[in-house]
Amino acid sequence: MSDKNSKTVRQFDELQETLFCYKIYPGMLLYVLPKAGYQSKYAAFSTRFGSIDNHFRVEGSGETVKVPEGVAHFLEHKLFEDERGNVFDRFAAYGASSNAFTTFTHTTYLFSTTDHFSECLELLLDFVQEPYFTDESVSKEQGIIGQEIRMYEDNPHWRIFFDMLQSLYQHHPVREDIAGTVESIAQITPDLLYQCYRCFYHPGNMALFVVGDLDPDRVWQQVEENIARRNYKELGEIIRLYPDEPEAVLRQRTTREMVVSEPLFNLGFKDPAVAQLKGDALLRRESAMEILLDILFGPSEPLFNELYEEMLIDDRFDVGYTAEPSYGYVLIGGGTRDPDQLYERIMEAIARAKQEGLGEEQFERHRRSQLGNFMRRFNSLEFIAHNYLAYRFRGSDLFNYPAILQQITLNEVQALLEEVLVPERHAVSVIVPKKA
Amino acid sequence: MVQESVSMLLPNGIRLTIIPTAKFKTISMALFIHQELAAEKATFTALLPSVLERGSRQYPDNLTLRRELEQLYGAELTTGVHKKGERHLISCSLEMMHGKYVGEGEQMLRRGLSILGGVIGDPLVVNGGFKEEYVVQEKEQLEKTIRSLINDKALYAVERCLQEMCAEERYGVFKYGRIEDLEKIDPASLWRYYRELLSTNPMELYIVGDLDAKQAEEVARETLYFSRGPQRNNLPETAVYVEPAEARFIQEKMPVGQAKLVLGYRTNIAYDDPLYFPLVLYNGILGGFPHSKLFLNVREKASLAYYVYSRLEKQKGIMLIAAGIEGNKYEMAREIIESQVEAMARGQISELELENSRRGLINRLRVQEDNPYQHINRHLDGEVGGKKYSTAEMIRALEEVGLNDIKAVAEKIGLDTVYLLQGEEGVLPDVRQEQ
Repeated sequence: MSDKNSKTVRQFDELQETLFCYKIYPGMLLYVLPKAGYQSKYAAFSTRFGSIDNHFRVEGSGETVKVPEGVAHFLEHKLFEDERGNVFDRFAAYGASSNAFTTFTHTTYLFSTTDHFSECLELLLDFVQEPYFTDESVSKEQGIIGQEIRMYEDNPHWRIFFDMLQSLYQHHPVREDIAGTVESIAQITPDLLYQCYRCFYHPGNMALFVVGDLDPDRVWQQVEENIARRNYKELGEIIRLYPDEPEAVLRQRTTREMVVSEPLFNLGFKDPAVAQLKGDALLRRESAMEILLDILFGPSEPLFNELYEEMLIDDRFDVGYTAEPSYGYVLIGGGTRDPDQLYERIMEAIARAKQEGLGEEQFERHRRSQLGNFMRRFNSLEFIAHNYLAYRFRGSDLFNYPAILQQITLNEVQALLEEVLVPERHAVSVIVPKKA
Repeated sequence: MVQESVSMLLPNGIRLTIIPTAKFKTISMALFIHQELAAEKATFTALLPSVLERGSRQYPDNLTLRRELEQLYGAELTTGVHKKGERHLISCSLEMMHGKYVGEGEQMLRRGLSILGGVIGDPLVVNGGFKEEYVVQEKEQLEKTIRSLINDKALYAVERCLQEMCAEERYGVFKYGRIEDLEKIDPASLWRYYRELLSTNPMELYIVGDLDAKQAEEVARETLYFSRGPQRNNLPETAVYVEPAEARFIQEKMPVGQAKLVLGYRTNIAYDDPLYFPLVLYNGILGGFPHSKLFLNVREKASLAYYVYSRLEKQKGIMLIAAGIEGNKYEMAREIIESQVEAMARGQISELELENSRRGLINRLRVQEDNPYQHINRHLDGEVGGKKYSTAEMIRALEEVGLNDIKAVAEKIGLDTVYLLQGEEGVLPDVRQEQ
């Protein structure tokens, strides 16, 4: 992993993009995508440390650590502060805007600027690599994150999402809210943050993506110098410990009352097979699944239109698939006047599709549409940077998507229908209007 | 690089603006119909986009329309209504991958524009009205949309504050209209309303992407050929000037965990006012950034909120401050917020606050050039607000703002309405789990 520094240049013909890939001792990955004509320059610095990484050890150190829920997110908040104050202010001095976010699987720090790019990059590299946690600042943050948790608790879409994950999963930490709970974050101390920091914020566990009208080798040189002066030693492999997760779901149905205008409905299917997949195989499964879901539930097919005309769904009806190395699921849902009827109709449609099979014409049409969808999203520098890193941490390459899409076959998509959308591994969560 | 935009009138009076640039992977096109925002018209206006999107004469149902879009490599057709000042806008936009990535060029532009032109200019009309089942279904869907405002509590609180604040003004009209007006609308009355709108109201088409302006104009002429009558040029202007008396306090209770506080201010500064850019900077210093006074004092120092910001309803001369707080901390939060507004009035603004906000705003303006819809939005703002600024002009205007200008802004700003969405103590959501 941690050889000498290296550089590769990769050309992607379908995308008409050239990506510069570098490896920097001891193991950090750097990607630079030049984008002519763009005013903004965007950088995302990510560590593979997300909310599900709450039980781990570093190879060679022996010690196994279990941390309270919400630590990765808490650490993200706290890196923005050091003895000199608030990092936002320093970016502001260059006119840049900075931010960060934490997901189930990683934490990303980012900035966007049109001016003073190298100063901003230096700032990003510095503040992420220089932690400063005190009792006082930790306790102040507990109040702020407490309000963040409250905000999400009042969000029906967020609640129904976690009700679903808690139904699908029996033990896996993806069940738990990324920010943790008011109780779990009360247990966080500076020592605990430092302990997690030393493990997950080692360059060997991190990657940086930079995009904009830039000279790649100059960026490389700057990053290399910044990393080199910190004298990192190589770190043993981080072993993430996940509990054994059965294939079966925990429960079939969850109902919650909230202040909503009409019921919200989610149907989920757990996909245990992702655990056997890595790299581009995972991306391929995701791409094939997206075609399948689009064929079954997309607005160009009869089911969507029937449900819409019967007022069982609206145009916010959403279908998606997530494939991470340790968990995967299909999610279908939206607002509905009648969750039970919508459930029956979707299950019937899935059963019917299995009997009747999928058509070649449909398949090609949806595949074509998926290609255009992907290309359109490439207008956004944020989209490219965030997704490149997210897929990189799964071991796959976002830029391979157009090529992979072309390899997918109808049989493959048909097989996924039989394998994943099965009644044995489904769950429903519903939010019903609370009477005021 | 983005070249200068080219603007011209099509033979039927639609203003076409072409923004040529090679940096995007897409061609983006958007058509807007301008209407006045008015209570008795709003529900009609709000219903139209979704009825139009259900089918045109050429693609008479959703299935055929969506399949044509898929053949265009998943082109995205979106319709909607927007409120800009006291203007109500219908939009219909289409974004598609540029043909150059698959060896197709002008042909894709033509197919895209003809879908757009058909949806707006050649709708499906049956027996002197829109298709009945489309109107019936879309009325129900619109009612759902109006009711669903409550699902997003932060948005709900902001909208409620504006409704209360502008109860006597056209700006108080909700962009989706009123449920009670829906029963008055039938396929024939909606069609009559639309026919007049289509014939007389200002319409604009924008096209952004790597294209030849001449060729694009030609394609637009051929695909948006529908005839229109004499155009009205008298949409009323937005009323901006209101001197609030004593600030009003409105409180609502709901079983929620987090209270939402919204303060509505009158700035008495219009989009074309010389003090507009000083106002933009004022708002930036107060609450537009994570380095601003509100974020620093309400969140970082007092630990009272996760989100707290101020923002402008720039076409209406209103400034809003919003925060999500613990219900029992309302008084403390309001006090800190108001003390920051007072600090602005006293001119307690450091050189750093001023310069960082100025740089941040200039950066935002430049970043907007990287998004095709921001280009369009910029033009649209100029059209509605009665003054067009280029990026360079906006940057220059921001560079020229001094502390005295900000002081002048502060003198004009007054608190109008305070809205609080308060939780009910001890009420927690119930969960039922079934094995």
